[in-house]
Amino acid sequence: MQQQSEYPLVIDRVTKSYRGTTVVDDLSFAARPGRVTGFLGPNGAGKSTTMKVLLGLASATQGRATIGGKSYAELSDPTGIVGASVEADAFHPGRSGRNHLRILADATGTPVERVDEVLEFVELSHAANRHAGAYSLGMKQRLGLAAALLRNPPVLVLDEPGNGLDPQGIRMLRNLLRARAAEGNTVFVSSHLLGEVEQLADDVVVINEGRLVTQGSLAALRQSASLVRTASPDVLHKALVAAGGGVDALDPDTLVVRGLSLDRIGEEAFHTGVVLHELSRHTDSLEDRFFAWTESTERSN
Amino acid sequence: MNWLRIVRAEMHKLTSTKMPLAFLTVFVVIGAVTAVAVAYGTDMDGSKTFISTALDQQSLMAFATNSVVIAALFGTIAVAREYGHGTVVLTFLTTPRRSQAVLAQLAAIFAAGCALGLIGAGVSAGSVAIGLTATDYGFMVSAGDLVRVLAASALAGGAGAVLGGGIGTLVRNTGGAVTGTILLLIILPPLAVQMASETASWVPNTLANVMSGIDPSVGVGAAIAAILAWAIVPATVALGAVLRRDVV
Repeated sequence: MQQQSEYPLVIDRVTKSYRGTTVVDDLSFAARPGRVTGFLGPNGAGKSTTMKVLLGLASATQGRATIGGKSYAELSDPTGIVGASVEADAFHPGRSGRNHLRILADATGTPVERVDEVLEFVELSHAANRHAGAYSLGMKQRLGLAAALLRNPPVLVLDEPGNGLDPQGIRMLRNLLRARAAEGNTVFVSSHLLGEVEQLADDVVVINEGRLVTQGSLAALRQSASLVRTASPDVLHKALVAAGGGVDALDPDTLVVRGLSLDRIGEEAFHTGVVLHELSRHTDSLEDRFFAWTESTERSN
Repeated sequence: MNWLRIVRAEMHKLTSTKMPLAFLTVFVVIGAVTAVAVAYGTDMDGSKTFISTALDQQSLMAFATNSVVIAALFGTIAVAREYGHGTVVLTFLTTPRRSQAVLAQLAAIFAAGCALGLIGAGVSAGSVAIGLTATDYGFMVSAGDLVRVLAASALAGGAGAVLGGGIGTLVRNTGGAVTGTILLLIILPPLAVQMASETASWVPNTLANVMSGIDPSVGVGAAIAAILAWAIVPATVALGAVLRRDVV
């Protein structure tokens, strides 16, 4: 049985404003140990700011972000608990990848041998002595990941770690994060690569314009829709909307319904005298769900 | 001790790029020019009275005025680039108590500035000595005065580097920070002296010369305190800014 880490990440009613502009608005969610939590949102949704608040790099205007019940600054050994990569190109271009990690090792009292171990792990040993300025984006991502893994921490917080990675890199990242979660660690990853998150995440948190759109198990969120095929879609559409459902037309005779159970949809069809040719659970792709979530919040504003 | 580990890491930052080499190259160039000037230069009247006394020679090798400016530029560029490239994010992730992180960074910058000042003065003294071999004059500066020149240059370098580090922390953009340092050390002091002549004794150049033993404008203790104040004021303002602002 896996040993769960003691470090859930909790964002508790966090608001962050810059000069009167609210970037994160009363945001609350949690990322649990033993799970990979994908953090999704369009560009400018507030993902990076939320991560910076979590890591103590930005102060919350209101609310509190904690790791195992403590703020990042209160952790006794922050880099021993949290491995973070929040800036893809946060490297001095004139410093080698190895020296970048050795500086981190110096600052944290990590044995220098560990530097070569993590370089090997992220498959960057061949370029370790080259200046980071000459690295491709994918190589920089690998170096950032190596820095996050340097102390083998029980929590990983990674901002868009898949950006620029080649297919092998993506697979390495996916296997790594899945394995870390399987060992009971907390893995919190922001991404706009929805296909990647779909294969990686157990849970997702979706934000838009700084606000929470939805959160929960990815499997449950994807299956929270029903498919209805009927010869009278217009009549049923009106009835289901009146019953409080969210209804989209998939094609001329097929509706995708959210927010109503299969039983309720069947009852509404019966009451309106509509014949159903199919009524089943519908699994959206994450991309479909993502656009549905974010567009619905934009419409409501 | 954790803080010493952080200082060590900051020292490693400073020595893991080619920037120190670039500054040492500047010293070599200055040294070469000094040696040639001592060997072949003359006064307006064709004589070599500018090297004829121990004080003249000490003035030539007194590198502290250069140390302040050069080390300030070193500190400015080193710190501003850490902010500009975002590597300071890792510093604050490693050391969330930002006052500790900034003090460690300034301590490392101070040490590097002292080293630069010492090397610069050493190169300068060596250059004067080499240049003198081509003249009729011998090396007349006493060992005590030579040590004073070296120590003054080291301290001036340390102070300059901390001043530059403070400005680099405040401004963060390398170009803007370098401009700020040049304004503070090269442009503003002469303007201040023009507006209020009594400030002449307290500008970095004068203070560096006092510490080097070639200017009696103020006491040595007062000069040391004043040049440290030039460093500490911007560093303190920078520390306050870092404690307040987000790392973006």
